[in-house]
Amino acid sequence: MSASTTPGYEAFSEELGFLLSSTPPPFIYIQSFEALRTTFTVVDALLHDLSRRPTGVDQPSIHCATVDAASCFTPRLFYEGVIHSLIDWIPEWEDGCSIWMPEESTTVRWNENLDTFVHGLVSAQAYLRLRLSQTNSEKRKGKEPDTEVGRNQNVRLVIVIERAEKLKEDHPELLVPLTRLAELARIDLCVIFISQVGWEDVRPPFGASPDPYFVDVPSLTKENISKLLVTNYPSYASPNDNLLETPYHPALASLYPHFITMLCDVCYPFTHNPDELQYIAAARWPGFVKPLIDEYKQALHERRQEDNEVDLDSELPQINVSEDLRIRLIRYFNASFTTALETLLPRQSNAADWASANVPPDNLFSMARPDTGYQQQQPSAQEALAATSSQAGMRSLPRMSKFLLIASFLASTNPAKSDLRMFGRGLDEKKHRRRGARSSGKTKSGVASKIPQRLLGPIAFPLDRILAILGALLEENDVETRLVAREFVVPGEYTDMEIGRVGVYAAITELTSLGLMHRTSPADRLDGPPMFKAAISYDDALALAKELDIALNDLLWDPV
Amino acid sequence: MKEPKTPRGRTLLTKPAVEVIIRASSKTGTPVRHIPVEHTSDDFPRAQSPVSQVAQPIYTRLSRASNYLDIQKRVILQTLNQPTLSPPFTEPSAEPSTEDVARKQLNDLIHGTVARGEGNSCLLLGPRGSGKSMILDQTLAALAAKPIILRLSGFVQTSDKLALREIALQLLLQTGSSFLVEEDEPLLGQPNAENDDDENPFLVQTTVPKDDQPLCLPPSSQLHALIPILLTLKKPVIVILDAIDLFAMHPRQSLLYCLLDTVQSCHASQENRGIAVIGVTTRIDTIQLLEKRVKSRFSGRTIRTAPPSCLDDWLGLARNTLQLPIPIEGEDHDTRKWQQQWNSSVEDFLDHGEVLDVFNDTFSITKDVKVLQRLLTRTVLRLNYNEPHLMPKHLISSVDSQRTRPSTLHLNSLSYPTICLLIASVHTYAAGHNSFTFEMLFENFRDQLRSSTSAPVQVNGGHIGMAYDGLKSTKAFVATTAPSSSLAEGYVRHRSTLDRDVVKKIVEKSGQVHLKKWLIKGG
Repeated sequence: MSASTTPGYEAFSEELGFLLSSTPPPFIYIQSFEALRTTFTVVDALLHDLSRRPTGVDQPSIHCATVDAASCFTPRLFYEGVIHSLIDWIPEWEDGCSIWMPEESTTVRWNENLDTFVHGLVSAQAYLRLRLSQTNSEKRKGKEPDTEVGRNQNVRLVIVIERAEKLKEDHPELLVPLTRLAELARIDLCVIFISQVGWEDVRPPFGASPDPYFVDVPSLTKENISKLLVTNYPSYASPNDNLLETPYHPALASLYPHFITMLCDVCYPFTHNPDELQYIAAARWPGFVKPLIDEYKQALHERRQEDNEVDLDSELPQINVSEDLRIRLIRYFNASFTTALETLLPRQSNAADWASANVPPDNLFSMARPDTGYQQQQPSAQEALAATSSQAGMRSLPRMSKFLLIASFLASTNPAKSDLRMFGRGLDEKKHRRRGARSSGKTKSGVASKIPQRLLGPIAFPLDRILAILGALLEENDVETRLVAREFVVPGEYTDMEIGRVGVYAAITELTSLGLMHRTSPADRLDGPPMFKAAISYDDALALAKELDIALNDLLWDPV
Repeated sequence: MKEPKTPRGRTLLTKPAVEVIIRASSKTGTPVRHIPVEHTSDDFPRAQSPVSQVAQPIYTRLSRASNYLDIQKRVILQTLNQPTLSPPFTEPSAEPSTEDVARKQLNDLIHGTVARGEGNSCLLLGPRGSGKSMILDQTLAALAAKPIILRLSGFVQTSDKLALREIALQLLLQTGSSFLVEEDEPLLGQPNAENDDDENPFLVQTTVPKDDQPLCLPPSSQLHALIPILLTLKKPVIVILDAIDLFAMHPRQSLLYCLLDTVQSCHASQENRGIAVIGVTTRIDTIQLLEKRVKSRFSGRTIRTAPPSCLDDWLGLARNTLQLPIPIEGEDHDTRKWQQQWNSSVEDFLDHGEVLDVFNDTFSITKDVKVLQRLLTRTVLRLNYNEPHLMPKHLISSVDSQRTRPSTLHLNSLSYPTICLLIASVHTYAAGHNSFTFEMLFENFRDQLRSSTSAPVQVNGGHIGMAYDGLKSTKAFVATTAPSSSLAEGYVRHRSTLDRDVVKKIVEKSGQVHLKKWLIKGG
């Protein structure tokens, strides 16, 4: 797709294209807030167009290099990435993957540091100029060669750095020289930063860099996104292909805009990223057209039964998507877009798995009441989801480990001072309950309201504390399940023995190695008890408590 | 290799190119003429269908630069973006401007070095965008005999070792010889291990060696001896230290000391060709940064540059840039007519009240000429066949884009979960918490969802989490603690860089009533 035809990017590519082909400022900053990858594609296509453009006296030949700052984790990778893509050099395995070396043989390699990189840029420009004048003289033999000055102006280098905010974290020493690259190298050069964050977050301190010329990518509207997605309809299938094999058959293309419009209606409020919407579309489309393909298959089958000779080429049944059919499809699948969004946007599942888990039943239209039930597939999808989540691993733990996990959650969530009130039992068997009603919102005195620890993250606790809480939990909830042991006469003595077992300590170590608890104190520290931290979420703890029949909410200092 | 920039004239288009353009346009039968606003679309078929114009590949559009507007745009852009070009700052007046004074002083100094073999040092001081590099480049380019020019930048050569290496490399490329090597040659044998050449290419010679001889840098242990050698060269040397204040940060300022010591020991004589050290900086207290022994060797000469001092200069600069004559030779009727029309439109533009306001504001904020250049660049880029004259509204929109970028610039249309998170962050801040975790915002959001009568769209946890990640990657939420392996993602503390007013604007723009209610509820 040409850059200038991307919906929503017309003005952007117009501005950038004119700028780069006339006289660009030495440093351009493109901020793209939402559709970052689409912007990359557009800029790439634009530069591709520009570099293919016929060059003339007043129109320099443009050579561009695009590097991703995230992938250049050493400066050397960055230097090589830029210069090699400027001159289209691909290191060959047979040549020992050697880097490009300029003609004039200095023993200085250009990828050593920034100085040599700047010299390398100059040599690269000289090389490109030479190549250009060679091709030009080949083209028009006998005509007068270019003057030296003319050749000087004929090559313009454009260096695009994607995700430029990474430079600030990874190579802060590169940032200032890159923004001043044109004046350092003193050649016709333009550096373009593309980033999601603003220049004010990337800018080096003390105003060391000149301010760039800003080009802003407008946010995409819903209409533009759906136009964009529609133009992305894959065109690899030809009309002669078998419809049964590809869901992206040209015969179905007329349905695609309606599908995308519906998808955008449902999903656009939640994400404006065209890539995510495209992902959801790719997951849903094969299932969406399956009823049509089924119908087609059936028609084909009937046709074959009618006349036995198979003449596929001449008389294929046609797919015609009527208005009525479309409405039926949309009504049937509308709910599934929301579930797709919920599963696929956080990538709880991948598109292929989700698609196979949500295939509509065969021959949907021939069913009695096809419009009623999309939701049948939901339980299985939920199960598949649950199988991958962390709770599945916890379910198979031994009973004592589950108690330990709940104890760790309580110890990490409740303040240590509250333990006696929460778990202590006096003679009157009456529990001291937690503190009163939650204070909500802002307090009057200007003091910040208290945030429940559950929301602030787990606090560390010593080993003694988790054992004590475990004892209290076992005493309350586990006594009935134990075998009768007559040798224990004092109340709680049995539990004391239970929590003193080696198995409990081993279970704590095991849970730590499973990542369900974190040890916060170093392993080689001898003084003091080891410290731990819970690593399970409230939901996980609640599920475990339900399984063990513990009223978790009664034991929390800050009730939910 | 670092050639001084040749002064490029304003003529981007050489004569043959323009002739080609004119011929091409006359071939297509559309006479080239000025484009008034009310022009009918007959002569300019593209004007009637801007959509199809957009759909064309860029290069066909550009290569058919078949009218004056395009040429005019290109000429203006070239002037705006070529820093070496000198747009006349001021109208000629009785008293010489700062720039003229600086230019004369610098010229005298360099002339003294190049012609009389003096050792000179000076500081070129001025705020950003006030034309320091421009004056320097122009002065150097105007020299009759080309001296050896060594350019160093404090931003790149962050240590003296790197700087010496760069000096050696530039000397090597400009004179074709690496010095320092001949006396140690028998001892060192092969000074550079990568060099297997048996010949000795290291003799002091001023002729450029033949291509088959590899060029070598002197070994790094001897680089420090390079500075005194600068005096013995056959040509005068000019050392330009960009951001000299950063060189003063190097330990013991040894490079500066060596350079300035060499300058001081350069006596005008037959053997000496002269050396000049020119430091360029924006930092006013640079001289105070120098150590005593360095300072005493520095001449103390400071040449100052300044941005335009009054609004009229600033406007004059804009006028001169915009009213550039288009470089078409052969004054035919159409060209003259276009030029007239264009110039009068520029006058109208510059006399417009809103435009004057914008320039006045900008000038009060910053006198940086580069800001003016960016503003004009964007305004000029907005010209097209439907609006061939400069419009005040484009200048005003350029202010938002190029001068003072408002923080809501990119936040016009945020997704629903993102706005929810922003509102929750505002409430958390109002409750007295400067930083927050994701769980806090999510709880806030869930409470709102539960309590609000007009329940907003049902959002599952996942979307909110993705929106949170999005805000993190756009640096709207900044982590206040370092990430650690023992802390789950949802509990990392962040703070919001968008304050309440910004969020309010965003919510208002989104136009969702229940979100607005939620925002106001927190007070």
